[in-house]
Amino acid sequence: ACHSEKHVGQFYTLPSAHVRHLFPNGLPWCFQHQTKTFNETCIMVRQPALEVISCLKKADYSQPALRYLFYGLKGSGKTLSLCHTVHFCYTQGWLVLHVPDAHLWVKNCKELLPSSYSSSRFDQPLQATTWLRNFKITNEPFLSKIKTKERYVWTKREATEAGSPLGELVDQGISRVKSSSDVVGAVMKELRLQSSQPGADFRMAVAVDGVNALWGRSTIKRQDKTAVDPEELTLVYNLRKLMKNDWSGGAIITTLSQTGSLYTPKSAYLPQELLGERGFDSVDPFIPVSVPNYSEKEFESCYLYYTDRNWLQHPQSRTEEGKKELIFLSNRNPSMLERLCGFL
Amino acid sequence: VLLVRWSRYNPYYLEPEVRKEAYSRPESELSPEEKEERELKTLRPIKAAPNALTSSAFDDPVLSKFINMMMKDGNKVLAREIMMQTLENIKKKQVEKYHKAADGTKEEIECNPYAIFHQALENCKPVVGLASIQKGGKYYQVPIPLTDNRRRFFAMKWMITECRENKHRRTHMYEKLSQELLAAFEKEGNVIKKKHELHKMAEANRAYAHYRWW
Repeated sequence: ACHSEKHVGQFYTLPSAHVRHLFPNGLPWCFQHQTKTFNETCIMVRQPALEVISCLKKADYSQPALRYLFYGLKGSGKTLSLCHTVHFCYTQGWLVLHVPDAHLWVKNCKELLPSSYSSSRFDQPLQATTWLRNFKITNEPFLSKIKTKERYVWTKREATEAGSPLGELVDQGISRVKSSSDVVGAVMKELRLQSSQPGADFRMAVAVDGVNALWGRSTIKRQDKTAVDPEELTLVYNLRKLMKNDWSGGAIITTLSQTGSLYTPKSAYLPQELLGERGFDSVDPFIPVSVPNYSEKEFESCYLYYTDRNWLQHPQSRTEEGKKELIFLSNRNPSMLERLCGFL
Repeated sequence: VLLVRWSRYNPYYLEPEVRKEAYSRPESELSPEEKEERELKTLRPIKAAPNALTSSAFDDPVLSKFINMMMKDGNKVLAREIMMQTLENIKKKQVEKYHKAADGTKEEIECNPYAIFHQALENCKPVVGLASIQKGGKYYQVPIPLTDNRRRFFAMKWMITECRENKHRRTHMYEKLSQELLAAFEKEGNVIKKKHELHKMAEANRAYAHYRWW
């Protein structure tokens, strides 16, 4: 992952072992299909991801964590830039806390339990267990290295002692479904405390996709049909604590997303519109990185990649006129281009 | 005035010409009849072009006809969406097979969904059809030659009805269509079977062929 500005527009392949560990289900749906069809995972090196990676290389990790926010029009490649950055962190040996889509925690909840830790909050066992499983697959080497500092009591008979490895905590959460959201909170607290200490030998990367879900509204309703504020969900509450700048020794990389967001107009893509007032104030000192549509060079390279992988099959699409038509129809938007090339 | 294309025009009106190549030819290349046609087009009114007719390079008349036949209640958006998903599905399956195949067999796998679609339709077209002709109080099934349009219509109609009725209820239409098209490309599947049965009926009723008077 030692990319520089000379490599802009070129594709690089992610080794499949990395992909299986890093993104058990972190990649977008269409991209997963593409990976299966072409038998390989290829991401294009683009300017926004390169900027964030160069900042990460030069940052001072004794200062509080820096927040990076990818924003841009719908389908312009924010999630894939996030994945590129996360892969870079993984190759450097960092601990990766990847939330594939924060909107999934705030809508379509099938099970909602009142929280055992504090009475005003709600738990989501299903989403918490899936997240813990993915976390376990991603960060296997760290699970035995990091030890917990405090004692956590789950029920009258079960408690995790101080000094036990993180893997035990995670297993506890996966096996005891009812307390899994509290386990998630405990894991986040431990990692936050430990990475701030100067003696820690690991750095933490918090990657959240669709960060505007944490401060928006939610569609979940209580039994008496009153709406639930995202603040009252344990998962969202703990994630917000992570997003605050009070820990050091790592970086926070986030993306805005309009596609999954609730009650926001379709044309909103700027941070201020999507995060709302509360969100913008909490994320306030952050580094915004805009993700534009493909430039001409990037479009060329994407077109050549599809031709090389035998994906553009229509005889007319290989001519000059076909190419001009593709530029016109997709407006160089990556997701539109993918949809168009799908059937051409 | 809403620009709507009517279906009943005065025969005075001429058909629209959409292809770009027809207009970029210089004066010298035209024969006298084509010069006359051009003059006629400047004088006479022209019918409005239908919405589905494009001058883009990716336009395919056979494909448009198939989409029109699949359309229900005028929902062209949905029919087109299904067709595009079908083509994408076929392409995905073929490209996956291509990438996993050994180097020797790579050349034989056809990846182009359009080529597969056209070839599958060709394989489904019947050669002779049956017509019900009355002779001496009784109706006989007589084998008759079919025009090209009629054969294309039969192939498409069988394909669509087969996908709608004879498949498992829970699969999507594009999935059913892609399976059927790939099977027709390999000359297997229910539609090919139907074509063969029609041919056998025609062969069996060969004796009545002289009842046809045209």
